Amino acid sequence: MKQIFFILILLVVGLFIGIFFSYGVYYGIHKTSSENFCVLCHEMDPMVIAYKNDPHGGKSKIGASARCVDCHLPHDSLVNYIYTKATTGVKELGIHFFGNVDGIDWQKMRESRESFVYDEGCLNCHGNIFDKKLATLSTKAQKMHNHYNKLKGTEQEVKCAFCHFEVGHTGLRNYLNYYNPEHSIYKEKMENKKEELLNEYKEYGIKTK
Amino acid sequence: MKKVLILIYFISLISLIYANSQKEESNALSSSIKITPEIKKKYPLKHSHNKLSLDCIFCHVGQGVNPENFEAVDEDKCLFCHKSKIYLAKRLEFMDTLKANPHNSVHDGPNLYCDECHREHKPSVNMCSECHLKEIKNNIWMKDTP
Repeated sequence: MKQIFFILILLVVGLFIGIFFSYGVYYGIHKTSSENFCVLCHEMDPMVIAYKNDPHGGKSKIGASARCVDCHLPHDSLVNYIYTKATTGVKELGIHFFGNVDGIDWQKMRESRESFVYDEGCLNCHGNIFDKKLATLSTKAQKMHNHYNKLKGTEQEVKCAFCHFEVGHTGLRNYLNYYNPEHSIYKEKMENKKEELLNEYKEYGIKTK
Repeated sequence: MKKVLILIYFISLISLIYANSQKEESNALSSSIKITPEIKKKYPLKHSHNKLSLDCIFCHVGQGVNPENFEAVDEDKCLFCHKSKIYLAKRLEFMDTLKANPHNSVHDGPNLYCDECHREHKPSVNMCSECHLKEIKNNIWMKDTP
């Protein structure tokens, strides 16, 4: 009788420890998934500004917004999601504290956008893009989405972000240039633009100097 | 009896799903032009278009099936995907600070023809360099024309 009682207590304690840890993990993931967390890194300012200038950042008739993680983490499995979140998080922390942040060529990075924008993320919300009865889908969209389907799983597979560049970050190239001009002749002119932006967007955690 | 019914139900469900996927495939865009390595070499595509595995008839709509007889396309074919000239100009808005936006220049505004600079099957050119040779040559104003 005593033994059964002991096992029961063990089970209950185990259950509570389990719940406590799962809640801890859930809380941790939740808290580190908003743009408020992502913006903590200074080097993300142009991306946050461009995001706030996009329907995905709430600038639409509905006002709904996607979180950074909705597009920038894989959604095929929970394990892959947490693994990618952890590894990229650690990597980026390293770059932030020990790397050469000012030396990052963001324009160049954008050329490989399909490696950090995940189709499953897009399709989680836009799952109806293959629906032929969808009234808002133009013939162009239907044609290209058919093309997407046709190449899926082949060597020439295409990704959403191939065509839909700057989606989620309208005007990103412009904002990146206001912070760090691609070409020398714009340098002086961009200072004023940057100043304007810093003031306009400081409510989103953009740090003014 | 119940088991057999359940089995039949599942088999018909699977076959329905399969039939539907087959239907989807047949709806996909397919070209009757076979793109051989020779054609690919003779009419190479620009980086992004190549990456998307675009077919000849994506642009050369209604021009038959022989690439040798294709004609240059109108710019509405470019704008089919690339939206509008105003949209393209807006993407380079940072250049407006010096009125140096090639898609919205002081000389032509957003009204240039795409193929004044952009070519698909041969190297693009930079029309601005006809006068602004130094700035273009030294890459201090803009990159090579894509």
